[in-house]
Amino acid sequence: MAAVTRRYHALFIVLALAVVAASVVTAVHAADTPRRGGILLAVIGADPPSLDPHQESTFATMQLVAPLYSTLIQIDPYSYPKIIGDVASEWKISPDALTYTFKIRPGIKFHDGSPLTAADVKATYDKLIFPPKETRSVRKGAYLAVASIDAPDASTVVFKLKHPSASLLENFASPWNVIYPKKYLDKDPNYFMKNVVGSGPFKFKSYTPGASFEGERNPDYFVKDRPYLNGYKFFISTETSVRAAAVRSGRAYIEFRDLPSAEVDAIKKQLGDKVVVQHTPMTGQFGIAINNTVKPFTDERVRKALTLGLDRYTGGRVLFGLTGLKDVGGLLRPGTEFAMPEADLQKLPGFGKDMEKNRAEAKKLLAEAGYPHGFKVVLKNRNVKLPYQDFAVFAIQEWRKIGIEAEHRPLETAAWFADGRDSGNFELIIAPTVEASDDPDVFLRRYTTGDTQNWGRFTDPVVDDLFSRQSRALDPAERRKVILQLQKTVLEHAYYMPGLWWSRNVVHWAKVKNYVAPPNHYANQKLQDVWLSED
Amino acid sequence: MATSIELAHASASATLAPKPSVTEVVARFVRTKPLGAAGGVIILGMLFLAVFAQMLAPYDPYVGDYGLQFSRPSAEHWFGTDEFGRDVMSRIMYGARIALFVGFTASLIGCTIGALLGVISAYWGGRVDLLLERLMDILLAFPQLILALAIASILGPAVQNVVIAISIPVIPRVARVVRSAALSVKENVYVEAVQALGATRRRVILQHIIPNVAAPYIIMLTAQLGAAILAEAALSYLGLGAAEPTPSWGLMLSGSAPSYAEKAPWIALFPGIAISLGVFGFNLFGDSLRDALDPKLKG
Repeated sequence: MAAVTRRYHALFIVLALAVVAASVVTAVHAADTPRRGGILLAVIGADPPSLDPHQESTFATMQLVAPLYSTLIQIDPYSYPKIIGDVASEWKISPDALTYTFKIRPGIKFHDGSPLTAADVKATYDKLIFPPKETRSVRKGAYLAVASIDAPDASTVVFKLKHPSASLLENFASPWNVIYPKKYLDKDPNYFMKNVVGSGPFKFKSYTPGASFEGERNPDYFVKDRPYLNGYKFFISTETSVRAAAVRSGRAYIEFRDLPSAEVDAIKKQLGDKVVVQHTPMTGQFGIAINNTVKPFTDERVRKALTLGLDRYTGGRVLFGLTGLKDVGGLLRPGTEFAMPEADLQKLPGFGKDMEKNRAEAKKLLAEAGYPHGFKVVLKNRNVKLPYQDFAVFAIQEWRKIGIEAEHRPLETAAWFADGRDSGNFELIIAPTVEASDDPDVFLRRYTTGDTQNWGRFTDPVVDDLFSRQSRALDPAERRKVILQLQKTVLEHAYYMPGLWWSRNVVHWAKVKNYVAPPNHYANQKLQDVWLSED
Repeated sequence: MATSIELAHASASATLAPKPSVTEVVARFVRTKPLGAAGGVIILGMLFLAVFAQMLAPYDPYVGDYGLQFSRPSAEHWFGTDEFGRDVMSRIMYGARIALFVGFTASLIGCTIGALLGVISAYWGGRVDLLLERLMDILLAFPQLILALAIASILGPAVQNVVIAISIPVIPRVARVVRSAALSVKENVYVEAVQALGATRRRVILQHIIPNVAAPYIIMLTAQLGAAILAEAALSYLGLGAAEPTPSWGLMLSGSAPSYAEKAPWIALFPGIAISLGVFGFNLFGDSLRDALDPKLKG
């Protein structure tokens, strides 16, 4: 009898284990199987100055419209910085590195029903690289090597180069280079500042400035069975605490850019496993553009004094918990291939660790320049708190210690771009350098003469020459040497004042699946693979 | 003969009731309006803080001690420190300057322009009155804070712009009150008399009408002071007032305060108390002053 009971017990245990194992497998399978449907609710910290990514360089444009468009090639959403195709299925670079040939996938349709062909890709890149007078292309400096673009047939695009370019393929993968239909560009090159006709996984639905932006599923998307979501909706609020509250209350499932650690901790404390935090480094730093064309900043001694007065190392400690601003570095991200070694960096003005010495030197330079008691200056900024305004407050506090009294003037996003980038109507302005990759061409072109991103409006033929040389250098060791020299030149003359390199907290509800936060808030925003495990 | 007797009688009355001294007026105000006096004490306290902030504040309100971020209230920092290690008490003391500057200038500008327009409207009448009153109707159609918000968002965030934004919505409210007072003054016989004697419009307005509408003007001025301080705090809270790192009470209450409300509640608590106390003080004083000056509310 006892033996029978034991046998029953054993059988029961085996059956129970089997049931548990089966349910676990089912649960895992269910968790891993993408679910279709649902609207992804997100929250964003600014309104876009326009909807045309070719003309803008803000997350406010990119995050809202990226799901509506396709690009030629793209950065792998799951493996930064690997490059994979998008509308291009394959590509070939000639042995002399002077010809790039792309094959366009057949059957791709724009949202208006027209086919996407090589002619549209050519028209898009003509606008980007050789923009007509009435439009602006903020990244054309990254394509100086391109001599011509041809579309010999409907599925082939050929780029001919004047000289080899080390970064060109990375730049073709930029998420900003969205493909537009040629017929609209022919009518008006600025058409896409206010309109959207893309070929992305989602179609434009509605936009209410200052309130919300919506996209809906594109049933004709060229990637089979994508997207999973029925749509997405961004709520717009410049207030950090409002965005955090939106995530906390479940009104938004994700904030793609960044939230301060205090908010993240509070959200985590309240929601526990219901939320996921992805902490990533950033391919971007927050610094200050100095208008080199206005007094007293035409005087190198004054510019050097400003950069000497900024205690970056303390700033990293103070601002990290508040904003994610953390690492001291030069013009390229610390720890990356072409970044300036710390030992070399510390020899440059403003990067030495002895702040007493730096401040004494700053005061001496100001006195020599005719400002023994300092001066008053206006520091313009964007009215986005994180990390723009916190960084500005820190800089203002620091400059008071050397007698410079800066009045902080935050502006709406569009006005900030208009004053900083477009007109040079500023003395000092918070001007971050955030890009979609670590590529030196995209980061360093802003220090060349006449580049649209050269907010400080300085001209140095030595920098221009070094930029051109590094861009052509196919040998990484040779390229590194030239890049280090370029960084040294810019920082020695204090043409621009780097602050701190950024990192970010991407907070989202655990039900948002398949989103991998890249090291910037521009890439991987197409949302084609993202799905919701529940509504 | 009859005239000289009347004059002698008037002279005797004046001798019997001598004009009370300032001390007597204040003492009577304190005795009859204790709440108003309490408001006055709060206002004087604010004024004292604002004037002597540089001497009284223990720390520089703009520069923080980075080693003391989010310090709790302590013997060294009575109201604690904020996210940059800045002393909250010192910032509140300096903040009184901004609050009073904006409160006084915005109310003074708004009330003075409003009073002038009210008097002109009442005295001229006709088309001028019609035009000015319709203009005031348009301005009155918007709630005070909404209009201030709209103006501030056009002008951009700066203290001087806050003054303009707050003073404009005050104008029509004061203009209406002063106009009605001026209309009744205008109908007085002595005004008709000086007009008959050939006094110019300017003289009539400056010497006979304006002095007689001073009471409603002063009442409106004190009533608007508290509202202006609150409006400054509201505009700064909404990012349309003073910009960081200016120690403005409203800005201290917004900015980082909501993000750190759980970690460091004192960052929001003390500026909140300062705003409440300031507005409360002005409202108490304003109400009592109105009771004391408005003949309709006397006795």
